[in-house]
Amino acid sequence: MDPVSGLDRFRSNNNKRQEKSTTASDPAQVTDANNPDAVNVNGGNNSEAAIPRLPVAACMVREQDQYMPIANVIRIMRRILPPHAKISDDAKETVQECVSEYISFITGEANERCQREQRKTVTAEDVLWAMSKLGFDNYIEPLSLFLSKYREAEGTERSSSLFAKCERGDGGMVEYAPVLGHYGPPGFGLAAQQPGMYKAGAMSGYYIGGAGGSGNEGGGAGSSSASQQRQGQSAMGGGFDPFAQFK
Amino acid sequence: MRQAGKYSGFMMCGGIAGRTGPHSLPLARIKKIMKKSGEDVKMISGEAPIVFSKACELFIEELTRRSWATTLQGKRRTLHKDDVASAIVATDIFDFLVSMVSETASHSEDGTVPEEEETVGSS
Repeated sequence: MDPVSGLDRFRSNNNKRQEKSTTASDPAQVTDANNPDAVNVNGGNNSEAAIPRLPVAACMVREQDQYMPIANVIRIMRRILPPHAKISDDAKETVQECVSEYISFITGEANERCQREQRKTVTAEDVLWAMSKLGFDNYIEPLSLFLSKYREAEGTERSSSLFAKCERGDGGMVEYAPVLGHYGPPGFGLAAQQPGMYKAGAMSGYYIGGAGGSGNEGGGAGSSSASQQRQGQSAMGGGFDPFAQFK
Repeated sequence: MRQAGKYSGFMMCGGIAGRTGPHSLPLARIKKIMKKSGEDVKMISGEAPIVFSKACELFIEELTRRSWATTLQGKRRTLHKDDVASAIVATDIFDFLVSMVSETASHSEDGTVPEEEETVGSS
């Protein structure tokens, strides 16, 4: 890429964004001219590293801090697009800006709810609620699934010291679903449950082998674990019958 | 019975649980943006940015999909900002973004900015 044209594009882009949120100072641009490394902004994967830092004044927010890294945004866009597709620079930037706006929009609504309920902390549930309220309900299912798996992994790590004392497994550190293995979504449901971690909403619909779980909604974590163990073993027998326990 | 190991299972390749692997959006940045969204955003639970990292992926994917549909309608192969703007205008839940694309449209009527047409695999 021709460094001069790249520099021109960088300047005009920089101007465009600085008008929005920061006060541009000329020394930054002079610095750009003197620093050829700063030029190649849009071509490289790690474009963020090539953007020279603006002088940081007390009131100034660095552009990088307002947006998701453009490389990450582009990567996600490319997952959707066919291989031959091209993306214009202004489209990339627009999507990048829209993401930040999305986060602010949802957070604002979630925060309002917290304030109404006189809570100080915006939780994941608040975020999910806000998304549902603002029309993003088709995100709720994949996000709840994602969150459940995250919580399980976190619970798994934290309770590793418990499992170290178990007789089964090789010293306990490796296998967290030791008896029942995995069926359906990996890691789902049976290892290292902490009481109260699973809310009914998170459970619904995501247990393939977990019909016992939904059948035991009234039961505590302990009893549902026990019933799932029995059920798990019948599933391991090869015939997958979520209602085995009811026969 | 095959099990995912602790270090090679589902959760590990995505780099979740506080580790931002190559495919996740940076949690600290998300948190900064959340804090900036209002003066009164006080505390944010650890899980909220994690939910957002996935939500933003879904959002980008949906916006891209819709924008690309507009590109195809125009029988083009380059996704332009106008395609993004059309997608936003056409989608109810993206109404909050309408002001963004109309104001960026007024800024960037700048014929001197050449568009870079990227192909996969180029620098």
